[in-house]
Amino acid sequence: MTLEPLLRQLGAGSSIDLRPRQWSIYASETRRVSLGVKDREIGNAHAPYSITEGCGARYLFVWNDGRVSRGNFERRQLEDDPAEALVAARAAAYDDPDAAQVLGPATFPDVELHDAAAAEIAGGDARMLGARLDWLRERIDAWGSATWSGSFGAAETTARLITSAGLETGGCGTTFGWHVTLDGEIGDGHGARGPESTARFEARMDRLIETRKALAETAAPPAGGIHPLILHPDVVERLVLGTLLHNLDGATVEHGEGRFRREQFGGPEPVLRQDMTLRLDPLQPLRSGSYRFSVEGLPADRCTFIESGRLVRPLLDLKYARRLGMAPTPIPYDSDVLHLEGSTPRPLAETCAVAGRSVLILSVLGLHTQDRGSGDFSLSAPQALVVDAEGFAGSLRATFSGNLFELLQDDATRFVAFEGEHTPGLLVHCRLDPK
Amino acid sequence: MIWRTQSRSARSVVVRRGRAESTSLSSVAGHGLQLVGEDGRTVLGSRDDFRPEPALALFERLRGATAAASSLGLERNSWMELQPLRSRCVAIDDAAFRNVELPDVTRRLIELEHRIAAECPGTHLALSYRAELDAWRIFRSDGTDVFFSMPRCSLGVRATSDGEGKRHGVSATSFHAHPDAAWDPTAERIFLDKAVAAGELARALPDAPSHPPGSFPLVIDFALAKGLAHEAFGHAAEADGFRSSVLARDGRFKAGEPVGATHVSIVDEPIEGDHAWQPFSANGLARERALIVDHGRLCDALSDPWSAQPGGVRLTAAARAESFRHAPQPRMTNIRIEVDDPLPAPGAFEDYGPEQVRDLLADAGVLRRHPRVVYLSGYTGGQVNSAIGDFVFNCKAIYELSADGIRFFKPAIFSGSMFGALNSIREAFGPLRLDAIGYCGKWGQQVPSSGGSHYFLVLDPDPRVRLGGS
Repeated sequence: MTLEPLLRQLGAGSSIDLRPRQWSIYASETRRVSLGVKDREIGNAHAPYSITEGCGARYLFVWNDGRVSRGNFERRQLEDDPAEALVAARAAAYDDPDAAQVLGPATFPDVELHDAAAAEIAGGDARMLGARLDWLRERIDAWGSATWSGSFGAAETTARLITSAGLETGGCGTTFGWHVTLDGEIGDGHGARGPESTARFEARMDRLIETRKALAETAAPPAGGIHPLILHPDVVERLVLGTLLHNLDGATVEHGEGRFRREQFGGPEPVLRQDMTLRLDPLQPLRSGSYRFSVEGLPADRCTFIESGRLVRPLLDLKYARRLGMAPTPIPYDSDVLHLEGSTPRPLAETCAVAGRSVLILSVLGLHTQDRGSGDFSLSAPQALVVDAEGFAGSLRATFSGNLFELLQDDATRFVAFEGEHTPGLLVHCRLDPK
Repeated sequence: MIWRTQSRSARSVVVRRGRAESTSLSSVAGHGLQLVGEDGRTVLGSRDDFRPEPALALFERLRGATAAASSLGLERNSWMELQPLRSRCVAIDDAAFRNVELPDVTRRLIELEHRIAAECPGTHLALSYRAELDAWRIFRSDGTDVFFSMPRCSLGVRATSDGEGKRHGVSATSFHAHPDAAWDPTAERIFLDKAVAAGELARALPDAPSHPPGSFPLVIDFALAKGLAHEAFGHAAEADGFRSSVLARDGRFKAGEPVGATHVSIVDEPIEGDHAWQPFSANGLARERALIVDHGRLCDALSDPWSAQPGGVRLTAAARAESFRHAPQPRMTNIRIEVDDPLPAPGAFEDYGPEQVRDLLADAGVLRRHPRVVYLSGYTGGQVNSAIGDFVFNCKAIYELSADGIRFFKPAIFSGSMFGALNSIREAFGPLRLDAIGYCGKWGQQVPSSGGSHYFLVLDPDPRVRLGGS
């Protein structure tokens, strides 16, 4: 990746009309290898072994007339046609004074983002993938699953951030992720900056196989009504964290499109139960959501969005920070750096001993159709397990519904610990209607 | 070898509160090489430029990967013998897209926003415009060379109620194949009707009660019928998933099996000028019409040269890819439910509010059969588990229609068994309306989707198909 043609163009290489007063460029180049498994067939034509090479840049230009342009340049524009790219960017300029902010130098934290094993895979050395696939095949065949599918991928990215205000930094990071689905019904996976240990990988797969076995037995469904439900961490991440982050987003707050209003931040009124906290720590090593600097040039840092049930600050980039008159915040790039905290998480069996016979919601359908601003939800749970203090007691299919904000204020809501999961599960009481 | 080259450019504007929130002009171009070794093993490589040297280096890297593929246990794929095809289908002059001036679009959206706001006080509005030209040229080593471009333009609105308590948001979108959608009088009328209806719904929803859960006689509009066809049957008919699809046994499509009422059919085909139109597959074949359900029985699948033979189905050339980086998958384009002998519904679909729908049902005798019918209005998305045949989709609002009046409720999830749903379709009203648009996600790829049905379908209650709760 070279930015020099564009940087020359931003300097003296273009006419005054096409020379931004201020600018910021975040460029990245990625090489990636991925491999799919579709219905037991490893790397078949629909999920092939794939090699990807790509590069691009996000830009912010503040022109002499004060207007701004924000967007992306592709490789061709960066390397071959920077002059034409600037003309195109100028044509898309618009009035947005709050977005016209270009940052200068800053001190960025040291965060471990690069894993040698992931880099080797991204470079084409697939031996580790092969070993894990061999183990998976044997393990799943021994159990007797009808079919299974999945995907594995690793990437290495080199990034460079440079601004007209003198900020220049960069770095190299990796990612590694996988996901496996058994019988098209239930799946699990992991994502981080590098592969987890073989023992953790195998333990996660064994838990998935045990869950799949438990789903094979059918439970006598309870009558429709209010029931104790345990939301699996995957469901908590998608439903609870997804809804909270949508409503905390600065654009949502500023445009009045969500649950939370500007004046509630920093105020005394709790919006969640008073033991609940949502905080971000992007400085942890090798987490998927960890980083050193944002694309705007803000240093990564720890941050609390909700503390003791009260709104502390929205999630703010430079533009919406200025609009709301607050400081910009770090960014939750992934859920593995978000910490949803409250009552001490108790193991599943202990939770069921207190709550009684409950329903464990393993996955949901229809989440993207919900209105996250209201917190109302009405979802289908195609994979749910009846669970009591003795363990799993068979599967059922159901719909469940309620209002998420009411559940997060409910005294009966409890945190549940799940082995190998960063995010806690949640015991909630809401309407369940078995199918 | 299949070599896919793509160039896509998009222009978009978002307006809120009388000013541009963002404007952008973006493009992506590159090529993807899919190599099939002599042993049938397949690898894919992509790069985001067209320079010869890096392309040759990628080719060599892929050749090496193909040679090493057996050590990874890569599957051998069987590719059907095909006739080479040389064809071209460029639907629009690309200058029409290049000449879109974003400041003009911004001014036009602000004007439209003022008109909608005047009719929907008390709502926050966000208006969006997106014009995209997606051009592909696909070569195969057998001499195939097809070139096509797909124009798309959409106008969208998101209306959010401005209450102090709960807020509800409602979206509406309209599609046009030409980038002048914001100025075309017909497109403008349709968009404004949809936008005002979304604003009115957003204002009304916070005070609406929840509908009780259960199985009810239902009437759904064409957009929800598209959701039903797409989620319930379309995905399960995609031949790459037959090892785990409820419509297949031992990897073979269960063609001929009864799956629905005998007056109901499901058809998927590309329709020129449509949001999801694609005349050629991503493997360089002319896309064919697929009669997925023919009068209640399974007939065609959505297949490609790799999946047709193993799945025991004819080739319908249904492969699509989000971009040059992706491996093509059998996918839907425009899918619809057709019902024999539909009852008349005069006028335009937009003429029908809940009162008019109730009158249609009453005149046809439906309300004598079912004194209370639940009308699900507007589609907000859906999902399916094709392994077990469970689908869900959601609506924008629920109305309970009866001779006594009309009651309004919040939306609720509509879910159940695909077979139960298709068997329960009883009547249809009005002509086909096929412009319910959206995006479909599969295997990490998003492609445009669309479809519809007659204006309205009536479904008898079925215990396998449920509404709600809440």
